[in-house]
Amino acid sequence: MLTVNNLCASIEDKPILNGLSLEVKAGEVHAVMGPNGSGKSTLANVLAGRDQYEVTAGTVTFKGQDLLELEPEIRAREGLFLAFQYPVEIPGVSNVHMLKAALNAMRTHRGEKELDAVNFLKLVKQKAELVGMKQEFLYRAVNEGFSGGEKKRNEVLQMSLFEPTLSVLDETDSGLDIDALKIVAQGINSLRSPQRAMLVVTHYQRLLDYIAPDFVHVLAHGKIIRSGGKELAVELEEHGYGWIEEHACTA
Amino acid sequence: MDGSKSMPAQPDMHHDPQVQPYLDLHDRIGDELPGRDIEWHSHWRRGCLQRFADQGFPTARDENWRYTPLRPVLSKQFAPPQKLHAKAGWTAERIEEVEHSLIFVDGVFQGSGSGTGSPPGIRIESIADVLGKDPGYLRPYLGKSSGEAVHAFSLINNALYSDGLLIEIGPEVKSDALLELLFVSQTAAALILPRIVVISRSGSSARIVERHAGQPGIYSLTSSVGEIYLEKGAYLNYHLIESASDTAYQVLGNWAYLNADSQLDFHTTTVGGALVRNDLVIDLKEPGAECNLFGAYCLSGRQHVDNFTTVIHSAPHCNSNEHYKGVLDQRSRAVFHGRVRVAPDAQQTDAQQANNTLLLSSDAEIDAKPQLEIYADDVKCSHGATVGNLDEQAIFYLKARGIDRDSARSMLIRAFVDEILNMTEADQIRQHVKTLVDGKMSSFQKPLKSGAQT
Repeated sequence: MLTVNNLCASIEDKPILNGLSLEVKAGEVHAVMGPNGSGKSTLANVLAGRDQYEVTAGTVTFKGQDLLELEPEIRAREGLFLAFQYPVEIPGVSNVHMLKAALNAMRTHRGEKELDAVNFLKLVKQKAELVGMKQEFLYRAVNEGFSGGEKKRNEVLQMSLFEPTLSVLDETDSGLDIDALKIVAQGINSLRSPQRAMLVVTHYQRLLDYIAPDFVHVLAHGKIIRSGGKELAVELEEHGYGWIEEHACTA
Repeated sequence: MDGSKSMPAQPDMHHDPQVQPYLDLHDRIGDELPGRDIEWHSHWRRGCLQRFADQGFPTARDENWRYTPLRPVLSKQFAPPQKLHAKAGWTAERIEEVEHSLIFVDGVFQGSGSGTGSPPGIRIESIADVLGKDPGYLRPYLGKSSGEAVHAFSLINNALYSDGLLIEIGPEVKSDALLELLFVSQTAAALILPRIVVISRSGSSARIVERHAGQPGIYSLTSSVGEIYLEKGAYLNYHLIESASDTAYQVLGNWAYLNADSQLDFHTTTVGGALVRNDLVIDLKEPGAECNLFGAYCLSGRQHVDNFTTVIHSAPHCNSNEHYKGVLDQRSRAVFHGRVRVAPDAQQTDAQQANNTLLLSSDAEIDAKPQLEIYADDVKCSHGATVGNLDEQAIFYLKARGIDRDSARSMLIRAFVDEILNMTEADQIRQHVKTLVDGKMSSFQKPLKSGAQT
């Protein structure tokens, strides 16, 4: 589904990713871990198409297409979803309005009929309940005045509404208390299917306790220095990133 | 000087060449204008003409016009169109569900376009007729707007207006009817001088929409004067909608006088016009009066819109709240002037003012000038002005949800303006102004592909 090959990217001429390669197949959940500044968020943002990042080398193929050639909105309509680390507040635009415009843009792209207001509301209320979001948040401006947890919950709501083929979660677990964390994990788990894949970027192991990834990758200095199964996350938790970086250097 | 040049036998009475055509016009039509036999009225007209002749048109040196150059207007000639030709050849889009519509073509009243006569309890009558029947009736109301913000254009209206309407809402009349004044311009080079007097008698409430529309490509000059009187406890909701053609010049002045416990909600929505100046002067004359002024303007091309507002707190315990928001694209330019004057004994004044502008182009310009003159000490006054661009983070967020850049931009622009448009109470009017803004946005320049912003 997603093939990242030797990806190099920089921001304001500062290289962040230095030859990152990764293969994600349908049905798989991958966790990308690493210390601050290792390039985790850059990877997530480059995949979503944020234009502050400049790709200097490498290729990314998504469902057989050159992902880097696609505008961010086309990536989204093709089924790539980025759950933002810092969801943006958009005053004056109501959550339902944005969600409906987004879902219908995706449906139109896939040749499906747009949902009318009644059917859309039915669906979105059902999804909101699923992620434990109070209905009033649907009618408030997008993320405006939401607490950190509410913002993340809103990201998970969107994920379950759009049912993306590939979900990229950029530190969705950061700043969450344990109850919110469980709801986020539940949202992720409910979307797991043989057709879908997920790339979970996280700093901590605790989210992985709930979602049990198939693969764990450790990122340092813009490349993957170690890959393994979910036991790698546990090792990291015990020994810290310093251990693995030393390990990588001596290996 | 050697003195060899002969001096003219008489003092030269020539005026500024920009002024002279209007004096000539007065010579031609002055005798036909209404109120010429009424001493107070003709005296007032003469005074205004003289004042206009003396002071001429404002220049860039005039502080009140510093940011609004009048060259484009003053380089053209305008004259009132022949009444014979004033039949509607071009019609403005209707607003659905407007109960009472009064239509003016090139400034000439055409009668009711829809609905049946006046809404109950509201008197609507031609000013010329009122002057004819009861010469003294309008004396306390007509031409009282001689103090603040009076300039050449309003003086021309005073001196030369040929008719207008008196709208009088009877005491305790609570009218839900939406009364529309529709000004359509369709003749090239027309000088249009609308004149409206609104009297809201005590305890009444009413809603008025004043709309300006025009045939595309026709340039004209409209100089209107509205005088609004709210007696004790009256409520008036007034919405001025400017959707004239992009070749129209409009100087629209409204002067409102608010007595005790009365309230005026005044909305201005501007999408059309080449050069638009809105003078709005509110005098809160007695305790408990309140005004809420909301303005929204969306401009493109080389449009220029100047909202010149003056709120005078003459009495204690009055509130004023003013919020104007604008979206400027291409080379458009807007001016917001917010003057608030609090008189020495106007204690317990609450005056709020805000102006926010979204600049969509680096060639667009806003000049925001709050001007607070506070002579009382127990007051709450605030003002704020912001200027910004569209939030690129928000655009990326929306794009990452499958929404294309144009739609994302429209969504953000609409959200910005909607804060003001949503203050419009009447559903059909709110819908109408939103449709106007949507139409305007479709004329906005398409931005460059993403990647241009770094």
